[in-house]
Amino acid sequence: MSRSYDRALTVFSPDGHLFQVEYAAEAVRKGTCAVGVRGKDVVILGVEKKSVLQLQDSRTVRKVVMLDDHVCLAFAGLTADGRVLIDKARIECQSHRLTVEDPVTVEYITRHIAGIQQKYTQSGGVRPFGISTLIVGFDPHDSRPRLYQTEPSGIYSAWKANAIGRSSKTVREFLEKNHKDDLSREEAIKLTVKSLLEVVQTGAKNIEISVMESYGKVTNLDLSQIQAIVSEIEREKEAEAERKRSRLAATAAGQAAMESLATESSR
Amino acid sequence: MEAISRAGTVLGVLAKDGVVLAAEKKVTGKLLDLSGAKEGGYGGSGEKIYLLNSNIIGGVAGITSDANSLVNYARSAAQRHLLTYNEDIPVELLAQRLCDMKQGYTQYGGLRPFGVSLLYAGYDPHYQFQLYHSDPSGNYSGWKATCIGANNGTAQSLLKQEYKDDLEVKDAIGLVLRTMSKTMDSTTLGSEKLEFAVLTLDPTTKEPKAKIYRPAEIDALLESEGLAKKDEDTAKRSA
Amino acid sequence: MENLFAITGKGYVIVAADTTSARSIVKMKVDEDKIKVLSPHLLMAYSGEPGDTIQFSEYVERNIRLFQIRNTYPLGPSAAASWIRRSLAESLRSRKPYAVNLLLGGYDTNKHEPHLFWVDYLGTMTEVPFAAHGYGSYFVLSLLDRYHNPEASLEEGLATLKRCIAEVTKRVVVSPGQYKVKVVDKDGAREIEI
Repeated sequence: MSRSYDRALTVFSPDGHLFQVEYAAEAVRKGTCAVGVRGKDVVILGVEKKSVLQLQDSRTVRKVVMLDDHVCLAFAGLTADGRVLIDKARIECQSHRLTVEDPVTVEYITRHIAGIQQKYTQSGGVRPFGISTLIVGFDPHDSRPRLYQTEPSGIYSAWKANAIGRSSKTVREFLEKNHKDDLSREEAIKLTVKSLLEVVQTGAKNIEISVMESYGKVTNLDLSQIQAIVSEIEREKEAEAERKRSRLAATAAGQAAMESLATESSR
Repeated sequence: MEAISRAGTVLGVLAKDGVVLAAEKKVTGKLLDLSGAKEGGYGGSGEKIYLLNSNIIGGVAGITSDANSLVNYARSAAQRHLLTYNEDIPVELLAQRLCDMKQGYTQYGGLRPFGVSLLYAGYDPHYQFQLYHSDPSGNYSGWKATCIGANNGTAQSLLKQEYKDDLEVKDAIGLVLRTMSKTMDSTTLGSEKLEFAVLTLDPTTKEPKAKIYRPAEIDALLESEGLAKKDEDTAKRSA
Repeated sequence: MENLFAITGKGYVIVAADTTSARSIVKMKVDEDKIKVLSPHLLMAYSGEPGDTIQFSEYVERNIRLFQIRNTYPLGPSAAASWIRRSLAESLRSRKPYAVNLLLGGYDTNKHEPHLFWVDYLGTMTEVPFAAHGYGSYFVLSLLDRYHNPEASLEEGLATLKRCIAEVTKRVVVSPGQYKVKVVDKDGAREIEI
């Protein structure tokens, strides 16, 4: 048997699948959910935060990280793989500045990350990265928010809104139904929280929101702010349900009235 | 992972003014030559607790041979940092260095991952006292109190119940020993089954000071905490 | 000729550098900024072989930034200085060494004290209360020996600096006309007009 290191771990199956890549995608599907939403001049990253254990230090559990002053990344999948990939991306950001004196564009760094991920599906003796990423940011001298996604296979794509990780399909469907172009800051944040609530049952304390408003301006919402948005959404939902109930009640009452009228007239 | 859940317990507790680490030794026996450990050794009494750098102590659980090579790597990484930056390596950075290597072993072919979990107890000026845990996959996280190895579930829940914020080192020592005595397979604690270390700040120099206890000191400590074993063996020896 | 000066005082470091960029006897530019802000609390003034200074300082800038992004906190002044010195020392032993002299002024946010390091192209580094590079240093060092006060306020420090600049302008045959001055203290690094 070949003992050389260049034996590829990832090989085509007879029907044309790359199983290692699909296993990696499976690792992503088990990861915590992350959502990205692009508004008019703002872009939001929301992640599901696994409950921090009582004795754990929450500072060391990070899901959203900065790649450079103007690019933010969230990932779903294997945390250790994420750390290594993020490190490579951060080096590229600075290296790019050093060689061409300009910060990276969001697409450039996305392409770079996807390129690395692709390399690990094809090179000898390695397994693919078990992570998907959402990359948001602003290009230098530009006011349009950007949102990209990369996958373990090395595919990358631009989105108006997207989700990765656990139950990302449900969330994506929700986003497809509810996303509108040119969302304001508040609307975009709300949509992000709302879509995360589709998979996060425990509410605000398991949600983390980062808002990027313009080149290099990033804010992380604190718990009380998220809590406020969550309760607002809950209130709205309740009001909606209430309306539905009253409408139902109204129709029921109407029907009853009609019936009683009918019986009366028949009498 | 399986190898780790059977390994001797290592337990760490973070206090306001220090970090405490304790470990259960598995290699024991009447004929084992512990004369090297008597002196306390520069790197620890032998099996589970090691000085990784002047500001960091590490506790290992898992395959001992793997652990040895990781400890070696950690020490080189710490010295490399000292060489380039002329300062002690920050605790989290050392944990990261090791995790990057562990992650690499899971991704590159032809190599088997390290079967070792580690606890890092350390001090740096950025975040003061810290306690980290890393596992074979290359994940790490910071903790106030945690446990790896055999019975870590039990120990974890005990710690959860008993841990209070703003703990001081002397309380932490008590907490660690009490939890250890409850989780260890053997009924009595003694220096032949236990390794113990504390990291504090030197009151005069304000530099971190690691103290890995010698067997005699462990026994003395157990005595003062009222947890020493009281079987005939010790009675005879002390007589 | 290029001149770099730096003075520590009570809780701050002042770093000054002339703004001329010259080739042989010709002034090519008179508004060159030779002081880089490497991190929120770290300044680096550089002089030397024209191409090397830019190349090396940008390399340093990006690496210090990379450290900050990776770890969320920046390198402290002494750690940064050690790293930079090491880079220079390694470069000295390469086929084409950088000919760059540096002054590093920083504020340690953990220990709350200012630090100043003098580094030359041979990889020599020493921590000093005041420092200078260039022909101006022959006058400025003796002046500072007499007038430097580690407890001086920022105003007093700037006054001492002005004295140094005046002396250099008066005595050195080819002395640069203008200086850029930056200060770093607990509030971070900023430029100051003098």
